Order: sequence, then C-alpha cells, then structure tokens
Amino acid sequence: MQELNKRKKVWNKIKKDKFYYLMFLPVFVMTIIFNYIPMFGIRYAFYKFTPFKKEFIGLDNFKNIFFGINSQRFWLAFKNTIILSLSNLILGIIASVVLALLLNEVYNKKIRGAIQTIVYLPHFLSWVVTASIFTIILSPQGGFINSILEAMGKEPIYFLTSEKWWRPIFLLIYRWKETGWGTIIYLAAMTSINPQLYEAAEIDGAGRWRQTIYITIPALMPTILVVFVLNLGKVLNIFESVFVLYNSMVHNVADVIETFTYRIGMQQADYGLGTAIGLFKSLIAMILVLITNKVSQKVRGSDIL
Amino acid sequence: MALLVVSMLIPLMKVLSDSFDRSTTYGINLWPQNPSIVAYKTIFSAKALYRPLLISFLTTASGTFLGLLFSTLGAYVLIQKDLIGRRFFAFFIFFTMIFSGGLVPTYLVIKNLGMTNTLWAVILPPSLNVYNMFLMKNFFEQIPESLFESASIDGASPMIVFARIVLPLSLPALASIGLFFGVQFWNDFFNYVIYITNTDLYNFQVKLRELILSEQNLTDPSIVGFGNSVRNAAIIVAMIPPMIIYPFCQRYFITGITMGAVKE
Repeated sequence: MQELNKRKKVWNKIKKDKFYYLMFLPVFVMTIIFNYIPMFGIRYAFYKFTPFKKEFIGLDNFKNIFFGINSQRFWLAFKNTIILSLSNLILGIIASVVLALLLNEVYNKKIRGAIQTIVYLPHFLSWVVTASIFTIILSPQGGFINSILEAMGKEPIYFLTSEKWWRPIFLLIYRWKETGWGTIIYLAAMTSINPQLYEAAEIDGAGRWRQTIYITIPALMPTILVVFVLNLGKVLNIFESVFVLYNSMVHNVADVIETFTYRIGMQQADYGLGTAIGLFKSLIAMILVLITNKVSQKVRGSDIL
Repeated sequence: MALLVVSMLIPLMKVLSDSFDRSTTYGINLWPQNPSIVAYKTIFSAKALYRPLLISFLTTASGTFLGLLFSTLGAYVLIQKDLIGRRFFAFFIFFTMIFSGGLVPTYLVIKNLGMTNTLWAVILPPSLNVYNMFLMKNFFEQIPESLFESASIDGASPMIVFARIVLPLSLPALASIGLFFGVQFWNDFFNYVIYITNTDLYNFQVKLRELILSEQNLTDPSIVGFGNSVRNAAIIVAMIPPMIIYPFCQRYFITGITMGAVKE
C-alpha cells in the first residue's frame, strides 16, 4: 500500500513537471543521435569495412595498427602527438605566465587594456586564417621572412616543408595564437593575491623582481598546476592546428593520431581501421580524463567539470 | 613588452598591407607599393568567392540561434533541483564529454541520415555544445531562487518562467555564449572537411584554405591575375567578423572563461 502510494507520488510529480521533460526532449534526442548512436559504431573496429565490403575479422585491425603494416606509421603518429602536445602545453604555460607577469607591471590602465585587447585577438581567428597568414609570411617564394633572409644574403628556408623546422615553427605559431588568451586565468589569479604581502615585502626592502619571485609566482603555483592537469587530459586532442599546417613532406615529424585517423578512415575510406584507431584514442583519452579528474579532486577539492 | 606586441602584430600588418597591393611580388614592405582595392572588389564580385561568404553568414546565424536554444533549454532543465531524473540527464550529457564513438562512426551515422553534403551536417551536430550548456547552467544558477518560487506561486508554467524570468535576466550570458557559438560557426573548417564535398556548399574558411593551397594562379577566370592580393584580402575578410565583435564583448568573454576555469 505504502509502495503504491509512493509510486503514485512519483508519477504525479513527473506529470506535474511534464513541461520540463518536454523542454529537454530536443537536447535528449540530438544527444542520442549524434553522440550515443555513433558509440554503437565502435563494433566496426572488429570489421573489415570499406564502401564495398563489410566482414567480421575479430582483432585483425588492432593487430594491423599495433604490429602490422600500419604499425610504423601509427606509433610514429602516437609519438608525434605526445611530443607536440606536451611541449606545446609546457611552453604555453611558461609563455602565458611570463606575459601575465609583464602585463601585471603595466600600471596605466588604458595602455594595459589596449595591450590585452591585442594579445587576446589571435585566439578568435580560426586555424585556417592563422595557417594562411603564416603560409604566406613564411613562403620561400617572396614571403616576408625569406625576403629578410634574402636581403641579408642568406638562402631561403622552406620552413613548413622541412622536417628540421616544422616542429619549432608549429609551436611558435601556436604561441602566437594562444599565449595572450592563456594569460587570462593567471591575471585573474593575481588579482586575488593579498596586497598586504607586497606592502610587507616593500617594507622589508624587496624590489619588484624579488616580489615577483617570492610572492607572485608561488601564489600562481596552484593555478599553474590546475591548468597543467586540465590540459593533460586533452593531450591526444590535437587535430585542426596540425591539419592546416602539415603536408606530406613532414609526416615524419608532424603526423598525429587524429590526422592519421582522418587519412585512413576518411580519405582511404577504410572505415574499420579508422574506427579501430579512433577507439584506441578515445579509450586512452577517457582514462587520462578520469585520472586528471581524480588528481583535480585531490588538489583543489573539486571536479574538473 | 612593446617589442613583443609589435612582433605579434607584424604578420597581421603584412597581410593587411599586401591585401591592398596589386604588385605581383612582395618584399619586406609593410605599406602597399601599388595601393589598390581590386582584391576586395574581386571577393565581393566573383561568385566563387562571395557565395562561400554568404554560406558562412547563413550557417553562423542559424547555428548560433540553435546553439543558444539548445544550451538554454538544457541548462534550464538541469537547474531544477527536485526534478526526477535530473542527475541522470546531467550524467547523460556529461558522459559525451569523456567518451565518444570517434570520427569515423560519427561520420557514418550522419552519412546514413543523408546529411552529408547538406548544411544540416555543419549546423546541427555542432550546435549541441556540452561545454557551453554547462557554462550556461553556471550562469543560471546565479539567479536568486526566490524569483522562481514567487513565479510558481503565481501559477506561471515552466515555459513562462523560462521566457519571462530566466532569459531576460541572463542577457550577459546569452551575449557571451552566443559569441562563443558565433566564433565557433564562423571559424568552422573541420566539419566541412568531413561532411561537405560539394564545392557549392563550402564556407569561407574552406574557400580560403583552397585559395592558399592552390600554388598556381587560381582556376576561376574572374580571379586570375590578382592571385596574391586576393589571397591576402581573403584572409582579412575571414578575420573581420570576429575582430569587429570581439573588442565590444571582451568583458563577457572573460567572465565566461574565468567562470568556467576558476571555480571557487
């Protein structure tokens, strides 16, 4: 009887809230179609699946990428992903912290605001625009940089097609685009530093430089750690930036997992193999996110989301 | 500091200068040698170039509208504390952030729905943005609860409360998340690469990419001859909408990002 009453109560509550469910319906349906149904497509990782053929082959796709004919390219892409992502993450933190410290020294509010507006700007440009700008600037045929080299009597450098230059140039372009935007979080953290600390330091005779070293940077450490951990969960998600800047001449240093997946799964239309590589990536990415979430809970007592 | 800002601006200045320059080769000048606006005229008169521009405007407007619609609806339901199933809904949405079927299975679903080579493929899936929905939810949670209570005592239905109380009180949030969506759709390139092969449906980003990659002069006879300045001008045109909107809304953008990242 009590059970029945409770059930009735729940049912009445649901009926009362029917409009909320109705409002959630579009989001619910779209999520199912575009996010959950594709998850069932994971079974293709165990199929030989091309536009002409669909046949169950067990673990052959995974054997192929881990040990078989595609293993060399796959592990190369895996290595490049880690190298590019991690160096980008670490350089990004250093560059943004330094820029934030510099910005913090600009006292004139108007000038500071103007500089901030300028350095945030590239963040809003697409990767296509960014790559286009630098493809033109770095072009060996009359590009800006090579014109300068030429005027100095040097040979032109093929920046984007040379294995030696591609990675540094890629990291540099990434910094051009995102360093300014990266400062926001550090600037926000700086405003919450107790001004009395600086006053006390000044009385003790510490200059700006020592104040920065002994007060500002230690105060930023928790934020730096959070940024590092948050982004560690995303190290495998690097696609568009590489895709618009790489080319077949630099695959050895530039090809990453997602560009490799794209070439196999979309361009060569080997859906089965593409799904297998994608699944491997998704699983590792999920584990990384779960680990970083645990770390984040420990470090600052809240989930990353 | 000044040096840093200047060196950051040089690439942009060079492109801007060359877009107004009809010389065939450029050097290290940061000012046009043969000033001319022919490149811009070409962009707005050659169908191969202004059509992608129109597609960009169309998808940005409709995508931003749908994006705001879905994220406000979802966020509004997720803040109903005593709604049965709320925790399930939140997890249902959240799970898609940590695991996905991947590139190829998603492509196959959209292909089977007959959406490839239609603009639906580049409007609908990206308009469902979980991150923006949770950001919106954070904004909504700041609305005083007493407002909801008094409205429901007055007998207002959830939809009335949504339209008359929640939306008008969240204009800054709508502006900032609307801009996130706007920039996302304007700058979209990835979805076109995957789902669109029909050149008539290219947006301006894809077209720009094509212009930059075509080493030789362009194939479209109406553009031939102005190759280089057209390339530079196309970069500038692709940059303009985010650049115009962004400084006005900088404040909102920053509130959004610090709220998402630094949770107290």
